[in-house]
Amino acid sequence: MGTRQVFEEEMAAVNQEILRMGVMVEEALHQAVKSLVNKDGELARAVVAGDAAINQVEQEIEDRCIVLIAREQPVATDLRRLVTSLKIVTQLERMGDHALHVARGTLRLLPEAYMKPLIDIPRMAEVGINMIRDVLTAFLDNDAERAREVASRDRLVDELHNQVMREVFTYMMENSKFISQSISLLFISRFLERVGDHVTNICEWVVYSATGERVELNQ
Amino acid sequence: MNQAAPTAFAPHIERRQKLGALWKLLFLLSTLVGIIALAALLLTVINDSFGLVALQYEVDPASLGRDGRPLERLEPDELREILTARLSSGLIRRLESEKPLAERSREQLYDLAVERVAKLQVIESWSLAQSLLSRGEIRRWLEENHPEALLKFRSWVSWRFLVQPQASLPEKAGVRTALLGSLWMILIVVVVAFPLGVGAAIYLEEYARENVFTRILQVNIYNLAGVPSIIYGILGLAVFVRLLARLTSGALFGGGDPATANGRTILSAGLTLAALVLPLIIINSQEAIRAVPQSLRYSSYALGGTKWQTIWHHVLPGSFDRILTGTILAVSRAIGETAPLVVVGASTFVTLNPTSIFSKFTTLPIQIYQWTARPQAEFRNVAAAAIIVLLVLLLAMNTAAILLRDRIGRRRREG
Amino acid sequence: MQLTIKHAEDGDSASARTAPAQYAIQTRRLNIHYGSFHAVKEIDLSFQKNRITAIIGPSGCGKSTVLRSLNRMNELLPGTATSGEVLYHGRNIYDPKVDPVEVRRRIGMVFQKPNPFPKSIYENIAWGARINGFRGDMDELIEGSLRAAALWDEVRDKLSQNALRLSGGQQQRLCIARSIAIEPDIILMDEPASALDPIATLKIEELMTELARKYTIIIVTHNMQQASRISDFTAFLMVDEGRTGFLVEFAPTEELFVKPRDKRTEDYISGRFG
Repeated sequence: MGTRQVFEEEMAAVNQEILRMGVMVEEALHQAVKSLVNKDGELARAVVAGDAAINQVEQEIEDRCIVLIAREQPVATDLRRLVTSLKIVTQLERMGDHALHVARGTLRLLPEAYMKPLIDIPRMAEVGINMIRDVLTAFLDNDAERAREVASRDRLVDELHNQVMREVFTYMMENSKFISQSISLLFISRFLERVGDHVTNICEWVVYSATGERVELNQ
Repeated sequence: MNQAAPTAFAPHIERRQKLGALWKLLFLLSTLVGIIALAALLLTVINDSFGLVALQYEVDPASLGRDGRPLERLEPDELREILTARLSSGLIRRLESEKPLAERSREQLYDLAVERVAKLQVIESWSLAQSLLSRGEIRRWLEENHPEALLKFRSWVSWRFLVQPQASLPEKAGVRTALLGSLWMILIVVVVAFPLGVGAAIYLEEYARENVFTRILQVNIYNLAGVPSIIYGILGLAVFVRLLARLTSGALFGGGDPATANGRTILSAGLTLAALVLPLIIINSQEAIRAVPQSLRYSSYALGGTKWQTIWHHVLPGSFDRILTGTILAVSRAIGETAPLVVVGASTFVTLNPTSIFSKFTTLPIQIYQWTARPQAEFRNVAAAAIIVLLVLLLAMNTAAILLRDRIGRRRREG
Repeated sequence: MQLTIKHAEDGDSASARTAPAQYAIQTRRLNIHYGSFHAVKEIDLSFQKNRITAIIGPSGCGKSTVLRSLNRMNELLPGTATSGEVLYHGRNIYDPKVDPVEVRRRIGMVFQKPNPFPKSIYENIAWGARINGFRGDMDELIEGSLRAAALWDEVRDKLSQNALRLSGGQQQRLCIARSIAIEPDIILMDEPASALDPIATLKIEELMTELARKYTIIIVTHNMQQASRISDFTAFLMVDEGRTGFLVEFAPTEELFVKPRDKRTEDYISGRFG
């Protein structure tokens, strides 16, 4: 029996739970944006309902981590990992909230036809979802380099957001009946841009967990 | 107990309990044997120390009276007159050489008269058991054979017994000289062996380094503890009595008893026994010192104590109770030693108290030994009485040892 | 990352870290042999004044050996050979001209199992003072030492009672008071709380933090939480294949327990090897 077998098993369980939560958030974002593109009201409502489950998982993971800290008195790497875990789930929960907001936006835009096909917004979501997947992998592998690389992709998300803003402003200025839609779309784009920022925060904590260094990766 | 499935164990509990009970019985029996032996010894001694005696005067003291005054009321001059008239000149000379008649007190002259002239003698003595059980028979026997004799119940152990010196008549004999000799002996043994023994123990335990030399030394000390005491007697004879005769006889100091200008003195005997007892004291003290926990020494050193301060203030006080106990026990062994003292030359007939360490001497065990060898049956009683005195002395010493150890030890450990 | 500093009187934390360190005692290339057995090798440690330094490591790694060498107590075991230097006030305490008795007065020691003398509480403290030639007011010294050891209130009315009747924690504080009475600079503690219950342990730990204001404390402990709780610096020792102890890492406690530099340290403090 290895030393601290129970502790190792618990930590592995926490990691699995974080991955599961990550998948839930990725799914929520994916489906929120899909419902936006396809004007799928039912899907959007499902995303809204699913947020409660994400919040629940966040609490469960937090409780597990707190208990581990109290009972196992972790130090060094273990301590950094647990603290990082707590920080990650906070960021994931916020991203889940953003998925929720996107879904709500979808519901509000349901009666209207889109002024233009949605290209950049789904693209942003795709980049963001990949970033989530990759940073969580980096967390599992304790890979600081990978985390830094993921953080660098936020620039792409920001560019896409700027592009969306420019396009939307153009449409808004051309026809005042598009203003309401534009604002909704702007907000949705903003939410997806925030997702990128949250992932970058996660990257900073992954670097800390691996190296003990505090870094600033948000540009 | 539930009926479990058959396992690899077969506990045989009943058999084991029975075996245990058997061993317990064996141990109890061994203890009982010891108790019985001790009881037998005590009963024998007590039996002979008390009993009826038949007393008779050879010369009626009433006939020695003058002018209607009985013997015990006569003046010293008159008593001296009687003595010189009635005793042989040889005896008078010997008495004079021990102590001139003119210097003896009235009691001493009276005792002499009763002893030597009237010669109150015990013509027969009986044991306690006989005295208690066949009193009538004894009385009848006495009426038939010695009608003028007096029948008295006598305790051979008495105050008089303690303060009277040796005598050739059993009823007059006392242990005074022997008792004093033993006490002097204890004194010398303690004064010599205790500091030497404890000092050696301190050196060996605290200062000496672990090497071949000290190990040989240690083994030798253990061996010496087992050497038969008669060997020490031979050692004492060769070294103290003969080789160091000038020292032990007191000639070196100008003192000493001119009557015994040789080394057969209390000093020699004391030194011999001190040598005998020394290994015991060393070993016991070493163990006492070793029993002091090392942590005590460490805390002393950690406060900046030197080695000597640590020993004096902590190790010795911590081991003192055990050292004391061991010393008392070793000394009580020395009290009982007979053979070596016989070799060293204990006198068997000394009537005068030892005046200094350079005097002739005798001790209790030697006196007992000598009395049991005498022909008169009554000396058996006297010997038994002396044994009781010796036992009481030993008991007192051992009790003191235990009490001291408990008291000092408890005060240190609990405060 | 901003680290907290325990000692407010140092003033600004940044300057406290960059100022030249004040060392109470240092070891240089310390090697200790017990007979032919090489117990510890090449120990280089510097203990800062008025700080608590903990020495941790697995059993048999030589922690107590190193501690005992700091006040020449290791010489009491026959066959011990010490090479290298232990510098105290600039002088090597192993210099033949230095008297170990004087060293031990200035560098006191408290042991794992409390070992007060089987005398009264008063005498326990007075003895050390007396043999070191104390000439002042003894009563005052006793009270002062007992106060400093957080024991005065509990024993003030029973100073003549035998020390062995105190509880384990009280006895240990008495041993500390006894050491303090002779005014040392440094107090060495060899697992001082390992024989005590948790409450008594906490009291001793609080006391240590308080004592560090005036003295330098060096403590050997196998209780890692204790080391991380109370020490300012931590030294981690290990044994090599020949069972000789050596220094693996020495760092401020916050660094060592959050971000150790050596993997072996990491493994040990995370409990991943015995």
